[in-house]
Amino acid sequence: MALPDSPASPATRQAKRPMARYFLTNEFGLAALIVLFAVLFGVTAQGFLSPFNLFALGRTASINIMIGLAMMVVIVTGGLNLALGAIGVCAAIFCGFLIQDAGLAWPLAIVLALALGAALGSINGWITVRSGLHSFIITLATMSIFFGAMIFLTRAQSYRGLPPELTSFGRIKIVEIVSPLLVVTVVVALLLAYLYRLTALGREMLAAGAKAEAAELSGVRVGRVFIICHMLSGAIAAVAALMLTARNGAAIPSMAGQLGQDWLLPAFLAPVLGGTLLTGGRVSVLGTCLGAFLVTMLTSGLLLMQIGEFWIQSFLGLLLLAAVLIDKSRRMLLDRSKLS
Amino acid sequence: MSPGLSRIVRTDWFGPFVIALAAIAIVAAFNPSFLSPLNIQVLLLAISINALIAFSQMSIIAIGQMNLSVGAIGGLVAISFAGMMEVWGFPAPVAATLALALGLVCGLLNGLVIAWTGISAFIITLASLSLYKGINLGITQAQPFYGVLDAVKAFGQTNVLGPIPWLAVPTAIVALLLWYMFNRLPVGRFILAVGGNQHAAELSGISVGFTVTVAHAISGLLAGLAGILLVARLQIGQPTIGDDWLILSFAAPVIGGAVLAGGHVSIPATLLGVVIVAIITQALVLFNIDPYLVQVVLGFLILGAVGLNRFREARLERPAGRI
Repeated sequence: MALPDSPASPATRQAKRPMARYFLTNEFGLAALIVLFAVLFGVTAQGFLSPFNLFALGRTASINIMIGLAMMVVIVTGGLNLALGAIGVCAAIFCGFLIQDAGLAWPLAIVLALALGAALGSINGWITVRSGLHSFIITLATMSIFFGAMIFLTRAQSYRGLPPELTSFGRIKIVEIVSPLLVVTVVVALLLAYLYRLTALGREMLAAGAKAEAAELSGVRVGRVFIICHMLSGAIAAVAALMLTARNGAAIPSMAGQLGQDWLLPAFLAPVLGGTLLTGGRVSVLGTCLGAFLVTMLTSGLLLMQIGEFWIQSFLGLLLLAAVLIDKSRRMLLDRSKLS
Repeated sequence: MSPGLSRIVRTDWFGPFVIALAAIAIVAAFNPSFLSPLNIQVLLLAISINALIAFSQMSIIAIGQMNLSVGAIGGLVAISFAGMMEVWGFPAPVAATLALALGLVCGLLNGLVIAWTGISAFIITLASLSLYKGINLGITQAQPFYGVLDAVKAFGQTNVLGPIPWLAVPTAIVALLLWYMFNRLPVGRFILAVGGNQHAAELSGISVGFTVTVAHAISGLLAGLAGILLVARLQIGQPTIGDDWLILSFAAPVIGGAVLAGGHVSIPATLLGVVIVAIITQALVLFNIDPYLVQVVLGFLILGAVGLNRFREARLERPAGRI
């Protein structure tokens, strides 16, 4: 069940040609691809650059970025969180229940829903750390448990009586094309970047993910750090689901598919495209954001070009395949340029 | 204890066997209709198909990897099988053969890409899950194929002998063939060797790439067979076939005691894992407990089983350390 290790992160080593290294970074490649496809779709697809489409694009991208970030914070540990869709839906339904049936004020309901997401995430983390098993099998099991329990308790009912403050949040525009959801995402991404770059906890997460034994010997409490990573993942997944609820105007149990499985592909696409190492120890918040944005833009552009909505999923699968292959050859190229 | 008995107690299928017997006894004591021929037939139908899904995942667990695309391959094969009969008017055996070949090719592609690139099976099969499911939806436009031939429908509905349905026959044959392969054939031993220690296997002259590819091809073939049998049972080619196989495919091998790190699998134990899952699912229905709870129970079963396996491994390791 171990994910095969890939070569150590090239960013940490001394590069002989800094310019070449800069152009070979994932972030640069992604930004170039985004510009390229924006021009391509702007020319070929009718209405791609219309204010409405840009607004819709930003709104969808903000949710996809959040899903990618929720997975990224666990990939840091070298693990993964298959349950993030289930956790997100549980939190959104809980929020709907608190507002509609328990009659709580909506800000309080949102805080409690986020707390539920964090709590479910920390259950994942706690079991993973205590059992010493790979988080794959643990979160596979908890995904089934969380989702099944939520469906059992709510009888698969949707909560549609949300207050207008919440539902209008997903509809209003700040300046023509910017959704407030995008602002939420940018704030979360900046906080994460701050966490990984400038706080001791963030550095400990990276160290523990890169080499748990070494980090443990240097005084990092690896188990506790891993649990915090899973907790963070649950909380971010809850934010993503609440944003989706605001956009849909209702909390729907099927909004992430069967057991929340529909979120798995965007969740892995964004960090993998963005150059986060699956074995842990290296993240790129910017890369994850750009990766998710590229995926959203490609989906939107292809839909506008009427490629056929049912083929989109195949296309995203091929994209993931292409991304890992390109990543592999890029790393081989970097290694070779270092040797010569 | 006599030596023969103690050998049986130490086999890996003994634990699941006792649990399965106990579960049958408890459920039958509370509800005698559990052992009625009709109920046994329903149980066997579920077991026949779920066993193939479990075997498909088990072949990959054997090499210490995972295959997320089991359900997607099963679904694609299922709709191709039904589609070839409805749209092209192929006779059932031809359609079944071609559809199985498609399953084999899907698995082969997974294996080739994993072996060739060395990228983790998780990511590759996540990508191919999306690819195969997308092709499925692209072909069907999310509409089922209804034109399943009467011969296939009859195959899915009739019994061979007493309460044993025809659908159990392919599964029984597959179980025997798999047992033979893992215990007697070189390729089966290669798969277990690679799963146990890939580096050691490579140094002993086993081609790891070839072995990984073969394991994935077998997995694709078995997932495809499960899809075809499910079409015979449901009587239509549903595009949603396979959507809920992921948990199921891991539950049975894990409950049967498969070590997720690879190198050790047991056909009878996996089969008993399927039986235990089927009995519990059936019991929830018989006792009028909410069917939604099946997911919760399956999740706890997986957690309990991996915990137990871990405990057993730790106990097995301890005496070895003392020597």
